[in-house]
Amino acid sequence: MSGQVQALKAELIKNKYSTILWVTFIAFALAPIMGGIFMLIMRDPEALAKAGALHTKVQVMHIVADWNSYLGILTQAIGIGGVLVFGFVASWVFGREYSDGTAKDLLALPTSRANILNAKFIIYIIWCMGLALSNLLIGFFIGTILQLPSLTMSLVSTYLTTYFTTALMTIVIGTPIAFFAIWGKGYLAPLGFVSLTLVFAQIIAATGYGYYFPWSIPGLFSGAGGEYKAQLNGLSYSILVLTSIAGYIATVTFWKLADHSK
Amino acid sequence: MEIIKTHSLIKHFGNTTAIDDISIHVNPGEIYGFLGLNGAGKTTLIRVLLGMIKPDQGSVMLFGKQLSPRFKQWNDIGYLVETPYAYPNLSVVENLKVYYNLRQLNDPHVIDDIIEKLKLTNHKDKKAKVLSLGNQQRLGLAKALMHQPKLLILDEPINGLDPEGIVEVRELLKDLATQGSTIFLSSHILGEINKLAHRIGIIHQGKLIKELTTPELNKQLIKKIIVDTPDNKTALHYLTAHQYQAVLNHNHEIEILNDEALAHPENISTLLVEKNCPPKQVYLFTEDLEMYFLRTIRTK
Repeated sequence: MSGQVQALKAELIKNKYSTILWVTFIAFALAPIMGGIFMLIMRDPEALAKAGALHTKVQVMHIVADWNSYLGILTQAIGIGGVLVFGFVASWVFGREYSDGTAKDLLALPTSRANILNAKFIIYIIWCMGLALSNLLIGFFIGTILQLPSLTMSLVSTYLTTYFTTALMTIVIGTPIAFFAIWGKGYLAPLGFVSLTLVFAQIIAATGYGYYFPWSIPGLFSGAGGEYKAQLNGLSYSILVLTSIAGYIATVTFWKLADHSK
Repeated sequence: MEIIKTHSLIKHFGNTTAIDDISIHVNPGEIYGFLGLNGAGKTTLIRVLLGMIKPDQGSVMLFGKQLSPRFKQWNDIGYLVETPYAYPNLSVVENLKVYYNLRQLNDPHVIDDIIEKLKLTNHKDKKAKVLSLGNQQRLGLAKALMHQPKLLILDEPINGLDPEGIVEVRELLKDLATQGSTIFLSSHILGEINKLAHRIGIIHQGKLIKELTTPELNKQLIKKIIVDTPDNKTALHYLTAHQYQAVLNHNHEIEILNDEALAHPENISTLLVEKNCPPKQVYLFTEDLEMYFLRTIRTK
């Protein structure tokens, strides 16, 4: 246990001054800001009429300028945008040791290799939960400034449950990214993997089989796929959890057993 | 008990044999220098010793214990493998704090002590990315030495250091060995190994081709007397007539290999003066480690 705490302390020192930490918060904050602009335009029929593509999307999605739509946008941003941003965080947390050249300094220490990886997973979870929470707070701030109507306790309660469940799903599906960072010894392989999962998540979800594809499931759960959410079942969640566990086991096993020649 | 003992280590990477049947031992308090060309297998062996690479065959014993995933004595070992990198956005102190935590140390003074010992005090709050190459090397050594290990495994420890830094690190390593630490180091600066090591191993194409102590090495280095006179052909005639094994080298100087000549070079001067062929210079030439090393790998 002491080794785990020490590994976590070391990981916190490493990330405390990392510029990328703030970059991810700023990048992810674009979602509630864009959602806020969305709401602002929709409250102005003249502006909405001029925004052709947006106008079409609004009609298709039945979006109105209220808390229900805004919280829905925030949740969908976690389910889809989260795959990208959380994937970026995982790529950085696990891949940086290779780009910094420090991976070799983590392999022959009294703190076990598994403790070091677990500390990284904990940092990844805290970081992503921080991003989710930060977006929610920014969202509430923007929604309050815009004086969006129809905010009720039951609405908030429902959306908070969906929001944080979506966030959790998006976080847990990030474990294979850690494996690709360690296997590929840097950022390139995990970022490539994130891009591929994002593309396939969209394509497979569009074909109607997203409920069997782990990286589509958070997006579908968030409501981004509309009625496809109803297709999610026990098997879908099992696939998501098993993929996450497999990613974790593969990462730790590879880090412990593979030859480290870089 | 040997601090390091390897038995018939073999490691292949695809079709390449990185290390081939390497058996070495390093005794307590010994400085063992490891020589080899780039790609000879030095770093692979160092990584095998640190458990970073698993050998295909053979075994490693550290402090008398088998190196395995259950090996626990990592705080008795300090290491520096290849270029010493650090977290670029962290200061020297913060970089050391990372390893202070990972090594689970309990005395915060060790950070200040090692910073002072490696003369990093003026740079301790600077980010690692702005450090000079020499100071990055010092930071790498600080990480390796912070916990006062019993065994140091160092890959090119003086790379990037200025002459003053080289002398400081050399003295530091000698002090550590005097205090009982065991040091295993590789370097391409062969003269440096000669100044530091008690024993030297030469690796070539993955094989350990020679292992010898520094006195043994000094015996094996070619020594000869070089003589230069205004008329070397005549001088050569006189010298061979007096049973000296003398030849003209490619610089048209006289080389003499006799033990007697090496022991009493003054007799050569006396002889040449008597023969009216006074020498302009007479000096003892000793083959350096670099030449010895190249001669050794070329004959294998």
